[in-house]
Amino acid sequence: MSDPGSIVAARLADLWRTSRPTVLERVAILRDAHQSLAADPADSEARTRGREAAHKLSGVLGVFGLPRGSELAAEIEALLKTEGALSPDQLSSLSLLAAELDAVIASKPAG
Amino acid sequence: MPPRRILIIDDEEDIRTIAALSLETVAGWEVLTAGSGIAGIARAVETQPDAILLDVMMPAMDGPTTFRELRSIPAVAHIPVILLTAKVQAADQKRFSDLGVASVMFKPFDPLTLAGDIARVLGWQQS
Repeated sequence: MSDPGSIVAARLADLWRTSRPTVLERVAILRDAHQSLAADPADSEARTRGREAAHKLSGVLGVFGLPRGSELAAEIEALLKTEGALSPDQLSSLSLLAAELDAVIASKPAG
Repeated sequence: MPPRRILIIDDEEDIRTIAALSLETVAGWEVLTAGSGIAGIARAVETQPDAILLDVMMPAMDGPTTFRELRSIPAVAHIPVILLTAKVQAADQKRFSDLGVASVMFKPFDPLTLAGDIARVLGWQQS
């Protein structure tokens, strides 16, 4: 195995094993932020926590071969950038996006 | 591509690791890293890289602020800087470009094409 593509792919697989717990922690932060926002749609601290976690996920998931995960995280980040209290429709969207993000990450086990 | 020295400034360890892996393995470049704007500025002064890959959103000192600091230091003011950011709206992209950076590149990047993309935007000859 000497071509750069194979070397990079093998190292990325190793790195995914060590990085996946951090990814799951960030998903847990998103889930927690969603619960807080469901209880108080104007909770700005929860929104900031969720937005930061989504931003980090959007930057890294695609690099690990999960482009749909990056798209979903970017949509969550954009949703959490909106001003004021989240509407029921936005909370519903957040819930759906977070559930799909969970499924995308679950589709790529640690190996 | 001739060997190059690249400094990656990003608070995300995974991004630093993957970008370094990519540039070292695919292009054979020397890669240096820093986890914050402050550390990155010191590393740039100390090592004089050929280019800097700079994350936009970092705690304490963000990418644009780090870029302005780099431009204010004569020893490193000439080094081309590429901003690395999650996908942003067109207005944000224009705001970043207006800073005077060499280019704005987006996360997630493709580890197999990152070196080529950097070389292309910097006008570096590719073999």
